[in-house]
Amino acid sequence: MTTAPTVRRRTDPRAWAAFALLTAPMLIGLGVFKYVAILWSFLLSLSDAHGTIALGHWVGLDNYRRLLGDPAFRTSLGQILLFTAGIVPVTFAVSLGLALLVHRVRRGRAVVRTAFLVPTAVSYVAASLLWKMCLFNGLPAGVANLVGGWFGMSPVPWLQTTDPPLYWIVLVSLRLWLQVGFYLVLFLAGLQNIPRDVYEAAALDGATGLRLLRRITLPLLRGTSVAVLMLQFIAAFQAFDEFYNLFNSGLSGTATAPVQPPLVYLYTTAMGAQDYGLGSAGAFVLTALIVGVTLVQGRVTGFGRADG
Amino acid sequence: MSAHHPEPSRRAFLGGSLLFVAGAAVGCSTDPTGGSAGGRTTLDVWFHAYGEAGTQQAATRYAESFTKANPDIAVKVTWVPGDYTGKLNATLLTSAAPDVFEIGDFNVGLARRGQIAALDDVYGSDKADFGAGDLDYVTVDGKLYGIKTLDDVMMLYYRKSVLAKAGITPPTTFDGLAAAAKALSSKAAKGLFVGNDGLGDSALLAVRSNGGDLVTDGRVAFASPQAVEAVAGLRRLHDDQSLLLGFTTDWWDPSAFTQGVVPMQWCGLWAMPAVTAALGEDFGVLPWPAFKAGGSPVLRVGGWTSCVNAKGKHVDAAKKFVRWLWVEQTALQKDWSESYGFHIPPRTSVAAGADKLTRGAAKESVELAAKYGRNNPNTWDSAVAAAFNAAAAKIVAGQGDPARLLADAAAQAQADVDKQRA
Amino acid sequence: MNRLRSLTRGLTVGLLTALFLAPFYLVLRGALMDSRSLTSPHWAWWPSTTHWENFTALFTDPALHFGQALANSLLIAGITAPVSTLLASAAGYAFARIPVPGRGVLLTLVVATLMIPGSVTFVPTFVVVGSLGGVNTLWGIIAPGLFNPFAVLLFRNFYLRLPAELEEAGRLDGLGRLGLYRRIALPSSGSMLASLGALAFIDSWNAFLWPLVIGQDPSAWTAQIALSTFLTAQTINLPGLFAGAVVTIAPLVAMFLIAQRYIVEGITGSGLKG
Repeated sequence: MTTAPTVRRRTDPRAWAAFALLTAPMLIGLGVFKYVAILWSFLLSLSDAHGTIALGHWVGLDNYRRLLGDPAFRTSLGQILLFTAGIVPVTFAVSLGLALLVHRVRRGRAVVRTAFLVPTAVSYVAASLLWKMCLFNGLPAGVANLVGGWFGMSPVPWLQTTDPPLYWIVLVSLRLWLQVGFYLVLFLAGLQNIPRDVYEAAALDGATGLRLLRRITLPLLRGTSVAVLMLQFIAAFQAFDEFYNLFNSGLSGTATAPVQPPLVYLYTTAMGAQDYGLGSAGAFVLTALIVGVTLVQGRVTGFGRADG
Repeated sequence: MSAHHPEPSRRAFLGGSLLFVAGAAVGCSTDPTGGSAGGRTTLDVWFHAYGEAGTQQAATRYAESFTKANPDIAVKVTWVPGDYTGKLNATLLTSAAPDVFEIGDFNVGLARRGQIAALDDVYGSDKADFGAGDLDYVTVDGKLYGIKTLDDVMMLYYRKSVLAKAGITPPTTFDGLAAAAKALSSKAAKGLFVGNDGLGDSALLAVRSNGGDLVTDGRVAFASPQAVEAVAGLRRLHDDQSLLLGFTTDWWDPSAFTQGVVPMQWCGLWAMPAVTAALGEDFGVLPWPAFKAGGSPVLRVGGWTSCVNAKGKHVDAAKKFVRWLWVEQTALQKDWSESYGFHIPPRTSVAAGADKLTRGAAKESVELAAKYGRNNPNTWDSAVAAAFNAAAAKIVAGQGDPARLLADAAAQAQADVDKQRA
Repeated sequence: MNRLRSLTRGLTVGLLTALFLAPFYLVLRGALMDSRSLTSPHWAWWPSTTHWENFTALFTDPALHFGQALANSLLIAGITAPVSTLLASAAGYAFARIPVPGRGVLLTLVVATLMIPGSVTFVPTFVVVGSLGGVNTLWGIIAPGLFNPFAVLLFRNFYLRLPAELEEAGRLDGLGRLGLYRRIALPSSGSMLASLGALAFIDSWNAFLWPLVIGQDPSAWTAQIALSTFLTAQTINLPGLFAGAVVTIAPLVAMFLIAQRYIVEGITGSGLKG
């Protein structure tokens, strides 16, 4: 976009006052909850902060050494990468596929779109509850086991089976259900922006089906696709809610969970073991990772620039 | 709670203070416990959410009788379900921290960090009436930092009729247990329930059943050859697919056992009233069997410890409450230990009078506990337990070399233990 | 041929729609059953007797604090949605229409925070909110969520496109800068406010990690925390669990159906205009 169409003149104090008044809450808020928080936490990551959030006991890079030396943290990074590598393409493909399908529905499109969108109103906690206690519990009465039973499968504990890792099915299907509607709406908006005559021209050239999709639809959806991928990546990397609620069982915590994403690791470190130094160090390593990937992706695609 | 004891209004509070000052001035013998400028102190007391029906009402009732005896101290009981340790730890950092709280994994770190107050004066001369094990457990640097409110015994429940029908005698060796669990499993049903994660306490039981130890004199010991062998041995239960996994409630709740979903379950003495109600006499109790010849059967003894927040605003009032309930009120201790779930009262004199524990399977459990019961070490906090259990979970899932995994976990746990003891 | 294709398409869409709606049916079914029939291996499509008392039990169980948690959630989302949207709109307007020196630098500072992923930094945020005494308080849960740099950007882009003539007319009527914002710009962005407000409400209502970190005391639980606590509790009352889920889901689904247009606008806006 271009700059504001306001004519630039000598700044009068009243403009200053108005600007200050309108932006102050936001600037102060972001200053305190982002900048001060980050700075303080950075200092904490350099100190031994067991059971306290006060600074003072400096230990240099000790926390970072411990963090990177902890196999649990390294595993959690590996697992989140695996999770991201799985969930992002699947969500992408499913939401794009559904969007293409819904886009072509003539009658009752609004109803169908609503049906796919409504799950995005459900929280991860409620969905985890439903997935853990109803769809994928280990009893023969679990819905997945019931359906499996119709095909002669014996009941399996979905969340606890590590070989093969059936819990991924639980995790991925849950996220799909919750997220697909959101990205579907984005894709639908993108599809609606493609002028009809582009297709008509292509059809005149004899392009049909898959060719049409590959030559016309996908390239024209590029902007949307980049945005969707970006949002999915960030969402996947911050996974916490469903992992915590699916694998935590009361007193024993999440230590024995087959997967522990980094945020669950950070939660147990900071809130469980009360090691705020190590927790802060972990927050930094993760932030650096996400910012790094975002920057690289942003540089490549131009997404996320300040002026839209 | 507070509904029965409405907070005095500001005016009444001021008036009360004036009266109090006046009373003190004329030498009235009011005890200004709690130090809150003559007003009424409100103690915040945290319990984890006990599963047994009636426990919350009981705790509230105790608090009310305390206030009746000490009108200047109100007690607010907070019942905390879910991840109790996490919730407690986070709150302890803040001004909303409870004044009195119970803790399931008492650890040295809490005392050394100055988080909890020494309670020697709370015990007073009644110290001798507490079991030596319970005193050792809460002793740090020669001082007592908590009072055991109940001793829990955890053991193996089995269905007599189901085992008899299958021609299986109650297992006395790990081999026997694994074989029984396998024989009692079918495509649709499983033989043994130790926890939804397939582990529960079984890894630490395995270590002890093979003559191993968890922490010895501040040295983490669970990477010893015996420990490695026993934990690796648990894999058999998984390979045989004889463990119930993914039940709706976890091992501390007897539902899987009482609903007939499994014939053998690791659970606690607390569940015995519920088990008896559901199954009558058709159950027996066993220790976790010895891993092999030369090992030893083992039961876990645990329980909850009441601590006073040393950084709280009402340390004196808190101590008074703890002494009143967990030292003086022997009748309430008996009620707490045997009216809801079954537990062993930590006071020897109270335990002697706990008549419900002197019969049948309860009696048997108490005797087994005396013989084979083992406490977790008091350095076994959530971080140490997490390192150990995470390694055990990998081992039973067949992911990696057991010795290596336990050695790594031990190194990590050692760092934490050192930090606690520092 | 074409007929067949559109029939299969119709069927596929119908089937998928049913699949996506099935969990809603399942949760309602669970909420109205009793414990025993829920774990029974014999499938019942609908409870033979509907147990509405599962819902009342939610609010009478003193360990759950469910009523209080719902009230907290309502208050938190009810404050967060309008306040965060208004704050972003005000800042967005200033960045778009009030040229003062240093504006660019400040905007960069705002945009830079966009790169810091919200939930990953819960430890830093906890450190700050904790030291301000916000643990176990509702303001501690609300405050960090009031400042949404992304919404600032969206509003800035919107106000940049606002026709200059509109403001000119207001200026002739004697409006100052604040008046222009309040009387002209703000009303013109009604649909933006509605859609971002709706999204903020949903996010706030469904938030889990931050309320979990900061609101440990039952008095500060939100509906999600109460539900999660219920799910990870020592003993589980299955029908109650489902009833709890229904109660936390229902308000948002209702809102979704009513305000769907704005929500869709909000999603497309936040996804594409970035």
